[in-house]
Amino acid sequence: MASIDIQGVGKSYGAVPVLHEVDLSIQDGEFVVLVGPSGCGKSTLLRMIAGLEGITRGDIRIAGRVVNELAPKDRDIAMVFQSYALYPHMTVRDNMSYSLKLRGTPSERMAQVVNAAAAKLGLESFLDRKPRTLSGGQRQRVAMGRSIVRKPKAFLFDEPLSNLDARLREQMRVEIKKLHRELGTTSIYVTHDQVEAMTLADRIVAMNAGAVQQVGTPLDLYERPTNLFVASFIGSPAINVLDGTLHGDGERRFVALGSGETMPVSDRIQGRDGQAVRVGVRPEDVQVSTRGEGDHTGQIELVEPMGLGTILHIRTVSSALKAFVLERAHYQIGTDVAFSLPAPKLHIFDAQTGQRLPDQAVSP
Amino acid sequence: MSTMPLYEEAAGRRRAPLRRLVSGLEPYLYIAPSVVLIAVIMLVPLTIGLSYAFRDMQLINPFSGGFVGLEHFRTLWTDAAFWLSMRNTLVWTLASVVLQFAFGLVLALLLNNSFPGRGVIQALVFLPWAVPTFLSGLNWAWLFNPVVGPLPHWMAALGILPAPENILSDPHLAIWGPIVANVWWGIPFFAITLLAALQSIPQDIYEAAAIDGAGAWRRFIDITLPFLAPTIAITVMLRTIWIANFADLIIVMTNGGPADQTQIVSSYIFTQAFRRLDFGYASAIAMVLLGLLLAYSFVIILMRQSLLRR
Repeated sequence: MASIDIQGVGKSYGAVPVLHEVDLSIQDGEFVVLVGPSGCGKSTLLRMIAGLEGITRGDIRIAGRVVNELAPKDRDIAMVFQSYALYPHMTVRDNMSYSLKLRGTPSERMAQVVNAAAAKLGLESFLDRKPRTLSGGQRQRVAMGRSIVRKPKAFLFDEPLSNLDARLREQMRVEIKKLHRELGTTSIYVTHDQVEAMTLADRIVAMNAGAVQQVGTPLDLYERPTNLFVASFIGSPAINVLDGTLHGDGERRFVALGSGETMPVSDRIQGRDGQAVRVGVRPEDVQVSTRGEGDHTGQIELVEPMGLGTILHIRTVSSALKAFVLERAHYQIGTDVAFSLPAPKLHIFDAQTGQRLPDQAVSP
Repeated sequence: MSTMPLYEEAAGRRRAPLRRLVSGLEPYLYIAPSVVLIAVIMLVPLTIGLSYAFRDMQLINPFSGGFVGLEHFRTLWTDAAFWLSMRNTLVWTLASVVLQFAFGLVLALLLNNSFPGRGVIQALVFLPWAVPTFLSGLNWAWLFNPVVGPLPHWMAALGILPAPENILSDPHLAIWGPIVANVWWGIPFFAITLLAALQSIPQDIYEAAAIDGAGAWRRFIDITLPFLAPTIAITVMLRTIWIANFADLIIVMTNGGPADQTQIVSSYIFTQAFRRLDFGYASAIAMVLLGLLLAYSFVIILMRQSLLRR
């Protein structure tokens, strides 16, 4: 177990930069998830930590030691690959004990450790089989078993669940989380699936276009996204984004939408009068009423029942938005509904930069 | 109308034995064309050729052709040139296969790394395979000739040879001339097939091994070799049979000489048949070679199956 420090790390292929100035400090035992769309540089960063990619700029420290020039085998980390990367010609037992064998572990000790790991992962009956005879989930377990047997300083996961079906993914997610609670090993997990990120992480690192967008706990990112990218990447169904202009007439602050409708916003929002903004509102924060109680009106365009709740697609004069409602009321397509957008739940971003407008309390 | 089916049934019962015969023959009729082709093109000439082994067949003697029984095989048993050619076949095959494989593997490993200009180098490496053996034999014969070729002078300068002489005319060294030419010519075969096999190894398995703690050598032993093993087995077996049968370079470069010192069994067959025009004796030698190669293939197939069963 160890802390991992990433300072000013960058990566370029020739003249093409793929990762800009990443700073990240991961504490001992922390579970950090790197999340972002494909091509955002999250896998590259993980592979740089593993030593599979060179570092163009900056320093990576594992347990306080700079590892920039260290070969992967000398970094004492373990990695779980998307494709599992099991050795097809070796049995499950040999796959799991390979790293121990290379370190010259005595065979009784090796058998003991492998059996313990297999018991933990429910692999006892597969130890003498070849990987090709196993199912996807079992292979995934072997790949994890291979990592845990040698008690590395850190686990690196590179989209480990993307090849599994939805049900199995959910199950393995729980197993990974349990395993982390049991072992407490520092873990870095790369995924493009924001649900995995939200459920697994102690802290999430949201990345886009080779740069870190925001670092924080899952709820931080969900409730206070620092920019439009994080707001729209985290959360399912996705956040609604409306275009408008910020106005302030002394006492009251409000946003005027293109249609002329206005909505009040928190008076702690800092911004110029007349500033073009984009307003984000999560579907579950849209308060829908069938009894006509609300500041805005629209028509139901589409209904997506999800069991847990229902996603309503509402068309208004100027825009379309989604609302997530929990009550089982029967919504008819084409009916008019009223809804309101509660001011404290609105996320206001600058339309140009996409950055969240600061909303510190104005000193009285 | 009701009588029709009865009539048909009765007729069917009457013809039943014939119908059973036809349906029994049916599968054989389907494969008959290929069997006939194989028989006409391969089995018949093979049998005729093998029958020569038991007859006195000399092209220059119009009265030959009589049955001589095992006479040729008795001669063969005491023919020193034949036993020499057997030994040479072993040296020739073993040295050629081992060197071709070793250099081919090294070349494949080098070409499996990416470097600027790899495409061009790859194409160049495979060039020898495209050169007719006859031409490459002549080329190498000239290269070894001290009058026109540089090799004897270089080897003398390096101290490998005491004087810049033609190794093809040295009874002890002559066999290495065709071996060198054969190695040069055959490396691309191993390089191509092994490179293809190397490129099919998933990269992330190497990465996983590197993280598990394997250095370059362990990765080669634990990942590369097991992945290459099936390809290595099949290519080495094929090449061994081809090279054991492969007389072109020897005929072109040394013609089996000096004094039969570079004669391998297949070139000895060629010499007996087409230079001494003794087809009977040549067939007898060919029959022995056929038997040996069949035995070799059989052993290899058994080995492969025991490997697969493991």
